[in-house]
Amino acid sequence: MTDALLTYPKTAAEGMSVDFVGRRGALFWLALKTGFFTILTLGFYRFWMKTRLRRWYWSAIRPGGHPMEYVGEPLEKLLGFFIAVVILTFYIGIVNLLLMFLSFSVFSTASFGYIASFAGVVPLWFYARYRARRYVLSRTRWRGVRFGLEKAAWGYTWRAVIHWCVTLVSLGTLWPRMTFHLEKYVTDRTYFGSARLHQDGHWTMLYRAAVPFIVALLILATSTVWMLWFDPVFGSEVLSISGIAHDILTDDTLVYSLDKPERLFLVPVALVGIVYGAIHYRFVSKRLMAGYKSAEGITSASRLSGPRVAFIYTFGSFIAYSVLVVGVAALAIAGLAVFGPSALVFLDLGLEEASFDIPQAVALALLVVFYLSIFLLWNVLYNTFVTFPLMRHLARTTSLPTRYGLRYVSQRARDEFAEAEGFAEALDVGAAI
Amino acid sequence: MSRGFDGFGSAYFNGDRPVGEEVSLHLANLNLQIGLDDGNTLFWPVKDIRLLPDIAGKKGYVLRLTTDPLARLYLTDRSLMTYLPSAHSKTPGKGRRKLLLWALAAIAAVALQIAVLVPLLADRLAAFIPPSGERALGAATLDQVRRVLDDTGLDPLAYCENPAGVAALTQMTTSLNQGDDRLENLSVHVLDHPMKNGFALPGGYIVLFRGLIDQAENPDQIAAVLAHEMGHVSTRDPTRHALRSAGSIGVLGLVFGDFAGGAAVLFLTERLISARYSQQAETEADTFGYTRLDAANVSPAVMGDMFDLLREAGGDANQLLAHFLSHPMLSQRIDAARAAADASSNYAPILDGTAWAALQKICD
Repeated sequence: MTDALLTYPKTAAEGMSVDFVGRRGALFWLALKTGFFTILTLGFYRFWMKTRLRRWYWSAIRPGGHPMEYVGEPLEKLLGFFIAVVILTFYIGIVNLLLMFLSFSVFSTASFGYIASFAGVVPLWFYARYRARRYVLSRTRWRGVRFGLEKAAWGYTWRAVIHWCVTLVSLGTLWPRMTFHLEKYVTDRTYFGSARLHQDGHWTMLYRAAVPFIVALLILATSTVWMLWFDPVFGSEVLSISGIAHDILTDDTLVYSLDKPERLFLVPVALVGIVYGAIHYRFVSKRLMAGYKSAEGITSASRLSGPRVAFIYTFGSFIAYSVLVVGVAALAIAGLAVFGPSALVFLDLGLEEASFDIPQAVALALLVVFYLSIFLLWNVLYNTFVTFPLMRHLARTTSLPTRYGLRYVSQRARDEFAEAEGFAEALDVGAAI
Repeated sequence: MSRGFDGFGSAYFNGDRPVGEEVSLHLANLNLQIGLDDGNTLFWPVKDIRLLPDIAGKKGYVLRLTTDPLARLYLTDRSLMTYLPSAHSKTPGKGRRKLLLWALAAIAAVALQIAVLVPLLADRLAAFIPPSGERALGAATLDQVRRVLDDTGLDPLAYCENPAGVAALTQMTTSLNQGDDRLENLSVHVLDHPMKNGFALPGGYIVLFRGLIDQAENPDQIAAVLAHEMGHVSTRDPTRHALRSAGSIGVLGLVFGDFAGGAAVLFLTERLISARYSQQAETEADTFGYTRLDAANVSPAVMGDMFDLLREAGGDANQLLAHFLSHPMLSQRIDAARAAADASSNYAPILDGTAWAALQKICD
């Protein structure tokens, strides 16, 4: 029995809720400003951009009213990126060359090389994901106390590879097993100060989160079977000569050939259901597992809503993508106006019309700036309309029902981490933010 | 003089335990005096107090001390900020030198790889590729070139396959490819593109663009380009080149990221088309070309004419010229071509008028 358990009975615990205080407008301007600098510096400011956005998001999340703090440095991210490039450049360059050579010499085709090259990067991808998580946790503090994650990236990597193989072999039916065990691996190695987190529960509980996905899949499968075999929508008589003759004579061609075509609406409905089911699974499984995360004298719980998250994703992405589409259309029109029909092809610009005069060169520069601005705008809008509401929802639905253990937590040593999230950055793993 | 501040809702975190202590706040003698519950008072020199940047919301802000990396003071009373002149100053950074070293190492590693390791390895490996593998590599590269050069973005760039034109081209190829050291598996294609260029790919693929045929004044000039590219095929220059690209493509994609990675693919395809071989390789290809032209009873001087023609027609827009211009010896090569012609020979055009007319219409 430790101090924590002797002093406070579990029943007497009072909960702690998490607040989220930031405003959307402030985030929009921060993202726009830092994104603008990123364009001006041809991408190098992105390490600063990421740092500043994280600082903002972290400080907006306030468990018990006190802000989280992100202490990651832009320069260490830049350094980490350089380190990763140095290491990966040898791996990817030389290994790719050897693979392509083998592929053509032995198999006389490029596909073996591409597949092997991809397969070789997959483990690195998991490795990078764990290292990125370790970096972010080690640079996160709350009430002055550091979070941390043990050095166990290779263990995570081989487990992830095996879990993926098992999941693929089982045709996805064991997916929850993978979700649970990988999350448990990471959670069990996560610390808040001196307190080690623990993931309880069982993987089979995650099937509950998969229910919408499974239902959508069943609808799709049964409606496909129904419409193709048992009671075909595409009536068989259309294939017979008499049927065609009948069509021509009566002059009602298409309607006649389809049998109860309104049933076809089941297909898009089921597809939307599958997308919703995927989002629902991803987040509700987090919710279920959050309820089984604990440290000594501390428990967590989540009340996040699957439909709400799905709404944030679809509505937010819809806005971000519409702006992108409008932007690209405007770009195409501008390009046509300046260069003529074939102008948008890179090689044409570079190779054939190289002798353009100054106004055209200026126009080209403007076009490039415009092109980059669309990517900037997309990023900004995605932050504003997807990441922001998502973080807010996740924060506000999280709570610590038991927290008396906090007073027995003490500081942990700093995790010096030269390479930061360099591998994730170089491999484009795309950590959450 | 001492000034008090509202400590309600504020908390001091000592950097060890995640438990907030209530505080009373006073400013005196250029120190922020933080009174704690246990009766102790902390003195934070005003000049060393920093505000944490990029804090969200107006509800509360966080102060730290430059000399203490861990302790934090969470405050709600904004009026204190006006008394903290250094709050927005920089906290001293660290590790700039290490950063610089790694940056240099990164640049050196990428340069070493693209300029030395990959070419070296590619040249060694190219010798071991069996003909069938070389052929597959060429087919894959050709597909890539056709896809990249297509304006519509739908289908790969079309081959020109007018039967009479193809027959004329085959006749030309056969005339040039004779004798003991004739090249096996030679495939010559014309692509429907205005570029004035021709290039060789691994496995005996030679590609001419419509623009080149339009530009030529007579069939012998096309034969000159064809013979030159056959020279590259015979020494397997394109195989080494394509392998190098396969190795470099991953590196460039890595450095520039996904967004620019697409551009890297375009860049490498462009490099395949206007392959810049070593000067020695070009000279060997030229010499090979003279021999073949001579054997086909065509004056090697036509190769000089073709270079000359492209130089005159050129400007920057001319890729083949740029290709040759990259070697400072263009004039020498023109002279060499003319010198290779035997004045006493009775040279004849490689195609008759009908066949030449058919070749010119190969893309119709």
